[in-house]
Amino acid sequence: MKYLSLLLCLLAIFVTSVRAGLPEDFASANGNLASGHADEALSTYKTLLTYPEFKASGSAEIWYNRGLAEMQSGDAVAASLSFRRSLLLDPASVPARVQLSKTLLSLGLPVPSRWKERTMQILHPETMIVGGAVIGWIGALALVVLLFRASRKKGLIALALIVIIIGHGASVLGTIADPRRTARHQAVLTAKEGVTLRATPADSGTESGKLDPGTLIRILSRNGAWWYVSAGSGSGALQGWIHSNTATPLLSAI
Amino acid sequence: MQWNNRSAIGNMHMIMSFSGIQRGARIAIGAFLAITCCVIGLHAADVSVSAELTRPQISQGEMAELQIKVSGAQQADVPQQIQADGLQIRLTGQSTQVQMVNFKVTSSVIYSYIVMPLRTGNFTIPGVTVTADGRQFRTGELAFKVDDSRSAPTPSSSSSAQMGLPPGMPQGMPPGIPGGIPMPGFQQRRPRPAPQRVDEGKLAFGEINCPKKTLYAGEMTPVEIRYYFDARYPVQVRGRVDFGCEGILVERFPDPKQTREERDGITYNVLTFHSLLSAVKPGSLDVAPAKLDCEMQLPGGLPPGFDDPVFQQLMGGQSGFGQPKELAVKTSGLHLEVLPLPKEGRPDSFAGAVGQFDIDSIVSNPHPAPGDPANLVVKIGGRGNFKGMGAPVLTQTDGWRSYPPSDKFDSSDELSYTGVKSFDFTLIAQQPQKESPGCEFSYFDPTSAKYVTLTSKPLPLVASPGGPAPAVAGAVQASSPEATPARLPAASRNSTFLKEGEPMSGITLRSWTTPVQRNEFFIASLAMLVATAALAGILAYLKIQAQGGTAATRRRKHLAELRSLLVSGTTDAGSTYDAALEYAELVLPPSEKRDALISGLTERRDLLKYGSGGSLTLPASEHRELLGLLDLSSTKIS
Repeated sequence: MKYLSLLLCLLAIFVTSVRAGLPEDFASANGNLASGHADEALSTYKTLLTYPEFKASGSAEIWYNRGLAEMQSGDAVAASLSFRRSLLLDPASVPARVQLSKTLLSLGLPVPSRWKERTMQILHPETMIVGGAVIGWIGALALVVLLFRASRKKGLIALALIVIIIGHGASVLGTIADPRRTARHQAVLTAKEGVTLRATPADSGTESGKLDPGTLIRILSRNGAWWYVSAGSGSGALQGWIHSNTATPLLSAI
Repeated sequence: MQWNNRSAIGNMHMIMSFSGIQRGARIAIGAFLAITCCVIGLHAADVSVSAELTRPQISQGEMAELQIKVSGAQQADVPQQIQADGLQIRLTGQSTQVQMVNFKVTSSVIYSYIVMPLRTGNFTIPGVTVTADGRQFRTGELAFKVDDSRSAPTPSSSSSAQMGLPPGMPQGMPPGIPGGIPMPGFQQRRPRPAPQRVDEGKLAFGEINCPKKTLYAGEMTPVEIRYYFDARYPVQVRGRVDFGCEGILVERFPDPKQTREERDGITYNVLTFHSLLSAVKPGSLDVAPAKLDCEMQLPGGLPPGFDDPVFQQLMGGQSGFGQPKELAVKTSGLHLEVLPLPKEGRPDSFAGAVGQFDIDSIVSNPHPAPGDPANLVVKIGGRGNFKGMGAPVLTQTDGWRSYPPSDKFDSSDELSYTGVKSFDFTLIAQQPQKESPGCEFSYFDPTSAKYVTLTSKPLPLVASPGGPAPAVAGAVQASSPEATPARLPAASRNSTFLKEGEPMSGITLRSWTTPVQRNEFFIASLAMLVATAALAGILAYLKIQAQGGTAATRRRKHLAELRSLLVSGTTDAGSTYDAALEYAELVLPPSEKRDALISGLTERRDLLKYGSGGSLTLPASEHRELLGLLDLSSTKIS
């Protein structure tokens, strides 16, 4: 049992979030934003996000506040990108989801409401993944112990199997629902005007559709400065080439 | 014998049948053909030139054709133009003819000139000098008359039915020339058909049908435009229907329907266009005729070189030539009286809808997550000006924030006159809600000349805001950014209770990648796998140890015990032989020697056990012999 205790300790260390202190600049920017000085606040948030702490990780709170500042500055497209990044880091954040909904509605874009979003509002995907894995491994260890006991109790073995399935199933579900898994191939159209989809990667390519600013797109392939993207789903899905300077990847902040 | 395709095929059959003839006969036939060819060559050298007019008399506006025929030569030198007072005669082409009559082959070239009269009267076409085969020939003069009577019969003109397209011929086909052309040779050529004179008013015309001449502003009424084209002539429509004027809106015309109709004994191809018309402003409106540009192929003369019987036979008796004529086919004009929509009794929710409608509404997501929008879809069905109608008005909107709806129209006809228009309202609850807002829609019914207001009741749903309850908001207000200490612990969950638009005050660092994509998760999972395997191994080892070790270990121990028992010889004879038997079965490999040994040991044991002496100690000599049999003579037991 001492091995099990050691492993649980290791997992506990892994699960615990690394928390950073609140820089004074962040508090200052929040003050500016609350007092209506959105431009000053936005400038500070942008500076904050260049700190080394935010290279490998991100802060959902800073991106959320930056989105608020951009909304106050009248840049709804940039705000939609910031709120999406905030939700990427904390998919369970209700304020970010509400603000994104409002921003998208102001841009005339549909608000996503799928099972993934609903699932993440109930339980954070990180909690599902890590917690599910821990429960699953506990079940696995219990199963091993039960199998080598002198008197095998079938009921306990079945229970251990169920714990394994539930735990690892939750982990897999959380992974599927986690927006960060697919964010590497996603971008937001940040051009001020609508972006024209083209059949070939050239300015002279035949027009195959038009997308509104703020639309979330999926990058299917890249050809130099041109991306082959898709937007929407089902029968209304559009595909075509766009120039990369008309869109900003969701993970460019990394 | 006419040298055409059919005769050539006949010759082929002849040549093929020759292959069955004997060699001597073939030689004779070859010599005959060679002599024939020489004769043909001699005859071909005889050159003659003649000129003729296909029609010596025509009407003003028509044209005739002059042919100069050079027989006995493959090529000749002719002038490009022929000078004649009052006529314009130009060379348009040439054709070559080969003819064989009674084994006499003649080849000839026909040069065709188009004769265009510049005035009416009697003309004389002068003789033409032709150079052929190194010699000069001159044709005779020809008399030519141009009549100013448009209805004057031409001696060679066929009936109009012969010139026109047969009634059953589909649109776009060229007018045909009747078959059964006599082919007695070029000296008796069929006279050229003259272009037919047609009444342009009956060639094509249009009609417009609008059932309502008095309508309200914004009211849509169907309009039908029919264009009739004489079915005998192919028509190519150019462009679209030009219809409309200031003050009316006409929907885009869908593809027309094509039918066939007979009027005054003439069969017409009819193009019927349907559309919708609506007036924008009240008053009297005179709408200009609806115009459609097209090109009609009227019958024309055959160009030189295409009028010989062989070509016409190949064309199946039809000519591919005609005179294109640009036509702008028009309907009559349309007069409309447009009435204004009454101001009396106009509801506040009226937004321009004119027609007959009904209303229905649904909530597409009656249980949105907190903060998520609910969608109220209001469906307006019926017939009328769907494009011009505004959105319904929401009622009972307390506690809701709504946004301008998106709309979608599903038409049930190609004119978009009837169908269902859906307005999708996005609603965000500002406080906990149990039902959606209601909806009101007003329209003007032109039939009853009254405004009608439709309402839909609020629908049940469960929605809650993403923001705080007021009491909680006050608590958060106390921890505004200014009052926040410099190093607050992160409070992402607390952000649920933020006031709308208030910045978050804590910072939580989170990875941009999902745990599965991180190294630490992979390492931890691997460690767990190793730990589980190690635990299983340890437990298995302990279990084996508890059971006395593995099977090999247990076998090894058992053999050692048997050996010890056998070597010591301390047991009775029966037990010793039992041990010897078990030892032999475990140790010795399968063989005849082993089987014989086991058989002998079994027999001796049974004798001792069931006879006498089984309980006694085995004699020393027999004990040594037994150890020898089991190769245990040198074994010492410690």
